[in-house]
Amino acid sequence: MAVALARKTLLHEWRRFLPAVMSVGFSGVLIIVQGALLLGIVGTNALPVTQSSADLWIGFPGTQSADLGRSIDAGVSAELLVDPRVVRVEPFLMGTGDWRGPRGGGISVTLLGIDTRPDGLGLAKALSPGTRALLEEPATVLVDAGDRDKLATAVGEAAEINGQRVRVVGTTNDMRAMGGVNVVASLATVRAIDKSLAAADNVTYYLVGLRSPEAATTVRNRFSQHENRTRFEVWTAADLAERSVRYWLLESGAGVGFIFATIVALLVGILITSQTLMAAVAASTPQYATLRAIGVSFPKLRRIVVEQAGWVGAVGLAFGLAGSLFAALLARLNGIPFALGPGIMVLSGGLVLAVALLAGLLALRRLRHADPAALLR
Amino acid sequence: MTPEISLSAGALSKSYVVQNIRTQALSDVSLTLHPGELSLISGPSGCGKSTLLSLMSGLSRPDQGWVHALGVDLGRLDDAKRDAFRLAHCGFVFQGFNLFPALNALEQVQIVLDYQGVPHSQAQRGAARALEMVGLGHRRHLRPAELSGGEKQRVAIARAIVKRPRLLFADEPTSALDSTNGAAVTDLLREIAHRSSAIVVCVSHDPRLIARADRVLEMEDGRLRHDRRGRSGLSFKEISP
Repeated sequence: MAVALARKTLLHEWRRFLPAVMSVGFSGVLIIVQGALLLGIVGTNALPVTQSSADLWIGFPGTQSADLGRSIDAGVSAELLVDPRVVRVEPFLMGTGDWRGPRGGGISVTLLGIDTRPDGLGLAKALSPGTRALLEEPATVLVDAGDRDKLATAVGEAAEINGQRVRVVGTTNDMRAMGGVNVVASLATVRAIDKSLAAADNVTYYLVGLRSPEAATTVRNRFSQHENRTRFEVWTAADLAERSVRYWLLESGAGVGFIFATIVALLVGILITSQTLMAAVAASTPQYATLRAIGVSFPKLRRIVVEQAGWVGAVGLAFGLAGSLFAALLARLNGIPFALGPGIMVLSGGLVLAVALLAGLLALRRLRHADPAALLR
Repeated sequence: MTPEISLSAGALSKSYVVQNIRTQALSDVSLTLHPGELSLISGPSGCGKSTLLSLMSGLSRPDQGWVHALGVDLGRLDDAKRDAFRLAHCGFVFQGFNLFPALNALEQVQIVLDYQGVPHSQAQRGAARALEMVGLGHRRHLRPAELSGGEKQRVAIARAIVKRPRLLFADEPTSALDSTNGAAVTDLLREIAHRSSAIVVCVSHDPRLIARADRVLEMEDGRLRHDRRGRSGLSFKEISP
């Protein structure tokens, strides 16, 4: 193996390269943390979907986000059950209410009505069978652990929703929403509290469990035939969750804010990294000029600089990922929605490496000073 | 028998423009250098000796005149071909040693062979041999910061000779060295010239070097003034301006 000039210089003069590594790392942290927070917060609108274990969701045609569901005809369930691949059809209700706790505080809440059977699909991931069973008693609700202060109600205490008395029998985790407050109850309790749902036996969604989840797309396509399109729409769970996130990213303007802040982070990263690399090239100009004198071509010198930029990017990225994992830990300890998924990590990884390589390309201009004839003046 | 003529220049002229002032660095210089001897270009600073070295080694192009090196007209080569020519045939020693701070002595030397595409183990052996030649075999694992000035220059010389160049150019190789190290480096360059039958050209105004050179070319105001044999004193030629 040839002498690894780029890497050895980087290790030997690490202090010189440190600002570049740090700026690349911070760009990475900034992008990842922002992105994960944004996706985490926006993703709370898809919580009813992501915390349930239904394969398919049936809802009002054209629904843009899971939290914006409207009522559909209860008769749909019979049609769904005709398909032999469908093993379960379960109603899911979404209503609204005005919460008043024992120690004051009025706040709007979102009511999520689920089937309380132990093997129910609705919010199956957020609730244990034991917790579900608590809801079988009429006028009982679950609130998220993170919302207890907001609701000014402790477990075991009573509160009023829309003037109806309810008792908090337990808490949920990971059901904290961006805007309102999620309150989970049985189907009957929700119908009793939200009068608009009580009037008809319509439901907001039907949750469908399939014999084999792999068939989700096929079954969805079957029920998405033309004659059904005005009455209901069928999504796979992943579809509906993604649709909800995308809707809020674009609708809220938060997505644009993220893109803008990302561009700023990238520009600052490029600026600092390229300056550092330029300084490193400048410091090595006589050595590079000597290599030029003995006949090493410019493209080969460029490769040294680009390789250094690549290493700076890789090490900076490693720092960035470590920082982001630390941020994720902090977020988790504080119950902050933080969606650190592979997507955002790959995206920011790619951007951060691009920052380093672009900075390396900018620094290449300094190589022009490596003129061997200048050593002889 | 006349030695093989392998580096010659004819009617070289070169001028520089610095801050809108044109300086004639070299005017109508012609010379022929022979292998197997240490040739020294000497003269006061600003006399054009470094410019001459730069032109003869193909690092820059003359305004007028020609350079023939090893039967190749350097003026006819494009930049890439001149790079390739230098990579194949030229070694350089500069006043500042220009060593990479991160590399040890062996790596400084080996890197030249790496760029020539020599396989790793062979390059390592070659580099070790070159360091032995300059008397630094035992210091091969030290970085520049751990070497004295004289040792650094010897590493630079090893780097210049490791590829066994047929043309070796040295620019003020002793000016940063004390008398002992300066003498050692001078002897080394002489020895290389005699042993390898390479053309060794040195630019210097160091009297120690002048005394030990086989041939001394004295320059002044961009022109060659004297061309004389050194210690052997076989010939002495006065060049009329």
